[in-house]
Amino acid sequence: MEIVKKKIDGKLSTLTIYLGLGVIFLVFALTCKILGKNFLTLNNLFNIITQASIISILAIGASLVIVTGGIDLSVGSIVGFIGIFGGLLIKAELPLFLAGILCILAGALFGFANGMLVSYGKVPPFIVTLGAMQVARGLALLINRGQPISGFPKSLGMVMSFKVFGLIPVSVLYVFVFYAIIVVIMGYTKFGRHIYSVGGNINAARLSGVNVKKIIVMVYVLSGIFAAIGGIMLLARLTYADPNAGAGYEMNAIASAVIGGISLSGGKGKIGNTLVGAIILSTLTCGLQIMNVPTYYQTIVTGIVIVSAVFADKKKERQSE
Amino acid sequence: MKKKMIAWIMSIVVVMLAIGGCTETKTETNGKNSKTEVKENKAEIKENKTDDQKTIGFVGMTLNNEYHITLANGAKVEAQANGLKIEIQAGDQHASADAQLGIIENMIANKVDGILLVPSSSDGLESALTKCKEAGIPIINLDTKLTDSSLKNVGMDIPFYGTNNFEGARLAGEYVSKNFNKGTKTAILKGIEGQTNAAERYNGFIKGAGDAIEVIAEQTANWEVDQGYTAAQNIISANPEVELFFCCNDNMGIGALRAIKEASLQDKIKIIGFDAVSEALNLVENGEFLATVAQYPAEMGKLGVQNMIKVFQGEKAENYIDTGTKVITKDDVKEFKEYLKTFE
Repeated sequence: MEIVKKKIDGKLSTLTIYLGLGVIFLVFALTCKILGKNFLTLNNLFNIITQASIISILAIGASLVIVTGGIDLSVGSIVGFIGIFGGLLIKAELPLFLAGILCILAGALFGFANGMLVSYGKVPPFIVTLGAMQVARGLALLINRGQPISGFPKSLGMVMSFKVFGLIPVSVLYVFVFYAIIVVIMGYTKFGRHIYSVGGNINAARLSGVNVKKIIVMVYVLSGIFAAIGGIMLLARLTYADPNAGAGYEMNAIASAVIGGISLSGGKGKIGNTLVGAIILSTLTCGLQIMNVPTYYQTIVTGIVIVSAVFADKKKERQSE
Repeated sequence: MKKKMIAWIMSIVVVMLAIGGCTETKTETNGKNSKTEVKENKAEIKENKTDDQKTIGFVGMTLNNEYHITLANGAKVEAQANGLKIEIQAGDQHASADAQLGIIENMIANKVDGILLVPSSSDGLESALTKCKEAGIPIINLDTKLTDSSLKNVGMDIPFYGTNNFEGARLAGEYVSKNFNKGTKTAILKGIEGQTNAAERYNGFIKGAGDAIEVIAEQTANWEVDQGYTAAQNIISANPEVELFFCCNDNMGIGALRAIKEASLQDKIKIIGFDAVSEALNLVENGEFLATVAQYPAEMGKLGVQNMIKVFQGEKAENYIDTGTKVITKDDVKEFKEYLKTFE
């Protein structure tokens, strides 16, 4: 019975978030129609997903870490670092593919350091990743003496702007491919179940033979890797590397996860919904900009939506108390 | 129950949006009514099928400081006076090329007819420029010049209207050389190391002042009030003989003023700032600042709109306009404040 109830809860939560996205779309579509603006076009739908793509990739890492009961604040700075690091490698005429691999390794290294300190070092994740955030930003500034990098080959831009069948931006495909993989991992593999069990009840997980420390390290490594992928995507999207890029991205990634119903107390949440969370955020920005709502209101609306989403999601818990 | 909750939340959002949307349309119609004749004249000249208004997209660097708000307002006032629609958007952070790219994509999707761009960085917007080029949307560059290499990479020729920071600082330097004795002991507070503007203001001042100054101290205070305050404190205690502070922006000057006041040296040490923000103008008016250098951000916005209209009518826009700088002292501060009021 308990399990059945849980499943229904999960479905309800998923329903809430899709409904939320649907309503937001409807509101924008109608309002824009009245104001005579273009919102509901295929091109614009691709724009929304492209604009969500980097945050949604970072949000995969954020969700994994949050499911284990942790938090990763370093991803935004890693995005900035990878931009400069990758930019320097490309400027040194390394093939794009090789530069990409090295970037992912660098991201994994950051994640590994975070994970080791959290699991074996017993330092709270908030503190570890707050430190890593500073270190990564400092390194981003240091390795090119604070200067941005520009003048990249056209092929770099194609990494993000290439259109499959001349229609679908490749950035949209990245998002769906990565999410498909992670949804399978989290839902249907032992590794996925272990991640949930570590966040749900760490002692029970340990007693039932889960290598808790290893799982935690791996989750932070994955977060670092996804941050590196996000960094590469941003570099390709702008064909410009700025050491200050990515500032605040960690918060958007965490917000996407939370809107998607990933519980900050760990152990709960469906990772697929994180993508919906990220798309909700980018739909808001895009829709409000198209309606020409002044920038100041945009941040207010976004803030209200983040809190409202979680408020709606927690209704069940409030009722049971 | 949950559905109900969501419905509530969404209705709040709708209301908020409606408020935002309505205020916008209202201002637009006002502008339209007041200048109907002008618009009709123009419509006749144009052979265009379009009777409807053209829309200009204004992509700002940020809208959380006075200078950039004035720049945007200059464009807004001029657009409304000409019966054009204008959409003003800016990144929520100061130097976010990513946010500006997103805004430009959304403007293209919404089919604006031309874009006025205040780039967040001189060479970080190649992707955005390429997208405008593909969509055939004309761009005019304001305030911060896009680098030549960046324009070459995307194969575009974009008009630029802005100020010359070197020239403004040189004027301030000349003012010093006219009004101070030779060898005035001078401290300089500089902007962020490595930025073009910071270097130009510093070099311009040194050039203009010539041998009227003897630089006894210089420090980077990163354009910030608090850092200007600390830097000035240190400079004053190390060099109590200092007579003049040239601060490469007003913020640092405001910080320096506090340090000078605390040391009770206001009679001895003069301050010159740069930017003419409203607080600095007040300080010039009551004599606590000797002078500040004004740029004309509103003019950039205005000229941007005027020339975009030319482009809409099939004419060529001016390729380069220097919007000028001026040293504002106690004598002309009142007049300058009056001028600024028209763009509030």
